[in-house]
Amino acid sequence: MRAQTLDAFQVIADPSRRQMMQLLSKDSMTINALAENFDMSRPAVSKHIKIMYNAGFISIKDIGRERYCTLKQDGFNELQEFINFFDKFWISKLKKLEALLNNKAKP
Amino acid sequence: MQKEIKHSWHFNQSPKEVWEYLTRPELLEQWLMKSDFQPIVGHKFRFIGGCNHDDKEAASCEVLEVSPYTQLAYSWRTNSLYDSKPFDSKVVWTLIPKEDGTELRLVHDGFTVLEDAVAHNDGWTRIGNKFAEHLNGVKI
Repeated sequence: MRAQTLDAFQVIADPSRRQMMQLLSKDSMTINALAENFDMSRPAVSKHIKIMYNAGFISIKDIGRERYCTLKQDGFNELQEFINFFDKFWISKLKKLEALLNNKAKP
Repeated sequence: MQKEIKHSWHFNQSPKEVWEYLTRPELLEQWLMKSDFQPIVGHKFRFIGGCNHDDKEAASCEVLEVSPYTQLAYSWRTNSLYDSKPFDSKVVWTLIPKEDGTELRLVHDGFTVLEDAVAHNDGWTRIGNKFAEHLNGVKI
């Protein structure tokens, strides 16, 4: 099935996907076991899984005839990167303000 | 995971002088960005340009608090780095008078997308911890 590639923010914006990740935060689960917790079609569950997989939030491993989903770090890193981006942004701006005010102080 | 940005900066100038640089558009432009800011609660304004020095809107904001020479707060709606989905956050400046100048504190937090993901639902704390665990590589 085709699933769009969404960014980390779009991935976590969906309540069902957040719930899936919450379940996966307890333990790895098969897609079937995960699907049992949701009142939606199996293809719909698969689509969410594909989206989380594409964005690096989960990994999928085939064990026997089952597919196991496990939480993965990459997707979460993207969220942290965003915060880091702003962190650096403000540091550079505050340095600029400091330089401005220091220059102003000189006669 | 880290959900807020905090910085504390010392300036040799008085809170009044620092305040000017936080609230006058012609001064803001010199160190932050172009804007149509006005120190009036409820005033909606935009920051233009930013790190790429282009004329794209960097953030659309609304003034939330103006306590002259003491505290200034505005909402900060921006785009994520990877798409055009806007989301909200909040910037708060606090000026603390010191003997030799001013301590300027910045808190940028309330990233709604993150909070929505990490804080809202009951039981969501668990995934919040998991986020942190993943990010820090250590067990909490």
